[in-house]
Amino acid sequence: MKTYLLAAGALCALGTNAALAHITLETQEAAVGSTYKAVLRVPHGCEGKATTAVRVQIPEGVIAVKPMPKPGWTLQTKKGRYEKSYQLYGETLATGVKEVDWSGGNLPDEFYDEFVFRASLAADLPAGQMLYFPVVQECGDATDRWIEIPAAGQDEDALETPAPGIKLLPKK
Amino acid sequence: MNAASLPSTAFVNGPRISRLLAALVLVAVLVLPGRAFAHAALVATDPADGAVLTQSPARFSLTFSEPVSPLVLTLVRPDGSQLALTSFRLKDQTVEIDNPETLKSGTHVLSWRVVSVDGHPVGGSALFSIGAPSAAPVAGEAVDWTLRAAIWAAKLFLYAGLFLGVGGAFALAWLADDRRCGQRFVASALLLGLVGAPVSLGLQGLDGLGAPLARFAAPTVWKTALETSFVWTVLIGLIALGLGLLSLAGPPSLRKLSASAALLGVGAALAASGHASAAEPLWLTRPLVFAHSAAIAFWVGALAPLGLALRQQPADARAFLGRFSRAILPVVAVLAASGIVLAIIQVRQPAALVHTAYGRLLLLKLALLLFLFTLAAVNRWTLTAPAKAGDTEVQRRMVRSIGIEMLIALAIFGVAAGWRFTPPPRALAIAAAQPVSIHIHTLKAMADLSITPGHAGEVAASMMIMTGDFGPLDAKQVTLVLSKPDSGIESIKRPATKPGDGTWRIDNLVIPLPGRWNARLDILVSDFEVVKIEAPIEIRSE
Repeated sequence: MKTYLLAAGALCALGTNAALAHITLETQEAAVGSTYKAVLRVPHGCEGKATTAVRVQIPEGVIAVKPMPKPGWTLQTKKGRYEKSYQLYGETLATGVKEVDWSGGNLPDEFYDEFVFRASLAADLPAGQMLYFPVVQECGDATDRWIEIPAAGQDEDALETPAPGIKLLPKK
Repeated sequence: MNAASLPSTAFVNGPRISRLLAALVLVAVLVLPGRAFAHAALVATDPADGAVLTQSPARFSLTFSEPVSPLVLTLVRPDGSQLALTSFRLKDQTVEIDNPETLKSGTHVLSWRVVSVDGHPVGGSALFSIGAPSAAPVAGEAVDWTLRAAIWAAKLFLYAGLFLGVGGAFALAWLADDRRCGQRFVASALLLGLVGAPVSLGLQGLDGLGAPLARFAAPTVWKTALETSFVWTVLIGLIALGLGLLSLAGPPSLRKLSASAALLGVGAALAASGHASAAEPLWLTRPLVFAHSAAIAFWVGALAPLGLALRQQPADARAFLGRFSRAILPVVAVLAASGIVLAIIQVRQPAALVHTAYGRLLLLKLALLLFLFTLAAVNRWTLTAPAKAGDTEVQRRMVRSIGIEMLIALAIFGVAAGWRFTPPPRALAIAAAQPVSIHIHTLKAMADLSITPGHAGEVAASMMIMTGDFGPLDAKQVTLVLSKPDSGIESIKRPATKPGDGTWRIDNLVIPLPGRWNARLDILVSDFEVVKIEAPIEIRSE
């Protein structure tokens, strides 16, 4: 614990505490019109409590979502209608996964884990901008919501609980 | 104070003059200007509130929802010193104000008080900074001492008229056989009162607007004064003074009647406004102020005619002295009893006698009263009997003593007139308990946040949440975050609960410091969406 605190202190001093404390995505850039493997990194529980559920909201333009099952966790998806329909490999997609829930697990605060899903980034997503995946982390009766999206011009580092996001790159 | 409830005191206590008063009050109500409901609202300021400018602006501007005329415009510099802004132009609904000096860097406050077409004054302030923001300057309490002195003097004149004049007329009509002694004195006092009453009213208007003495004749000043409860004091006071004059100079058949009506008028006039008459419970304080004032007028008013009669016609004055000394005991009992009850209502806690300006004035008044009562008691129980018996030496002593009593009474009037400037501890306690509220409005959400009481210490916060377009917002969770970055205190973050009346509440919240805090509301709109809105809130010191 002491070493952990020292390490945390050192990281704070280096100004990288944001990455340490928050739920983030492993791959932070992706081209529009490509397939993206999202790896949600969960570095700790909610104020010391073990994580029991991770829920992620799928933003508009992220289609054909397939989450990866996880031993010890119940995997569920919530499906719904997209705001518009998308073309993917000659098929028209108007509905799909809007939320992915991993629940019923137990990830103690001192351990680390990853939650994975695969998706297609629609070709008409605006390249050059950020795309955010709001995440709710539940730890029994406590909840941390990584759902803040910076307003235009706002510094992401100023947010207390930022949503994980990726930068959209131009289509390859 | 509302106008309709006022005359009832006069009716209860003065059946004989009720019809006359009723008629006059009716006339007064009919001629009073209708109350305006529309107020001018500030639409925009330049520089905008909270703006940071790179250089000192050449002018400021204030735009209102309707045309206004400025009463007082002040710029508070970062060091707290004030600069009166006197050069301005009106352009439709905008007031353009020239900036007479190059502003130094730091945060300034542009403070304004304007009066709209309806005659209603409104005020406010805008904060802006040159270069970079500094701590918001605290404007020193600017006291217009000339105006205060004028208010005090006019009030003293009014008291002289009501107590010495009307009281004197009553003594002459009811107690003295020969009205010549002291008649000139009483008439002069009445005239003083007739001057003091309207002047007091105008000064009240000036004070209400925070305007300087130079604007005494401005119509808005008088319009403002007419909307205060003090107008009733002046109106009834003028009637009482007029009845006093009638009793002196009118037909003998009306002497006693008009003197009695005038004395009741003194009580009604002073019960119509002022700190004591505004204290709850009104059914108790109003009659007490009435009795207290009428008793003062009876006692103090009789002193001058009695003293002058004893000096000039000692033989004839004996009957006067006899009647006065028979009546004075119950009158002083009423005076003391009503005074004690009123003081208890106003001061509440003995400690406030020392800690507040109001309490200290009361102590001073009590000290003077002690002296006055001692003199009066000596007169009553030691000197009255031999004086009535015709002992000329004792009569001379009594005249001197009455002279001193009058001087003390005047000093007490002076102290009482000073209460005009000191809110009683009762009112201070009410003011301290007032909440402080802010309205935060953004496109996504808006909120009304109230913190009760609005001072540092243990408080409760209450929040009303709505969407940006005034629709209902069924938030899943609301969290209040109070921060004060300049204090070095960690921000205070507390989730609110929903008591079920449509509001969100936080009880047992402790705000450790007074000053300008930043209040942020984190509104969880849905599982994955939070809206954060924030605004500064001014917390008073305890």
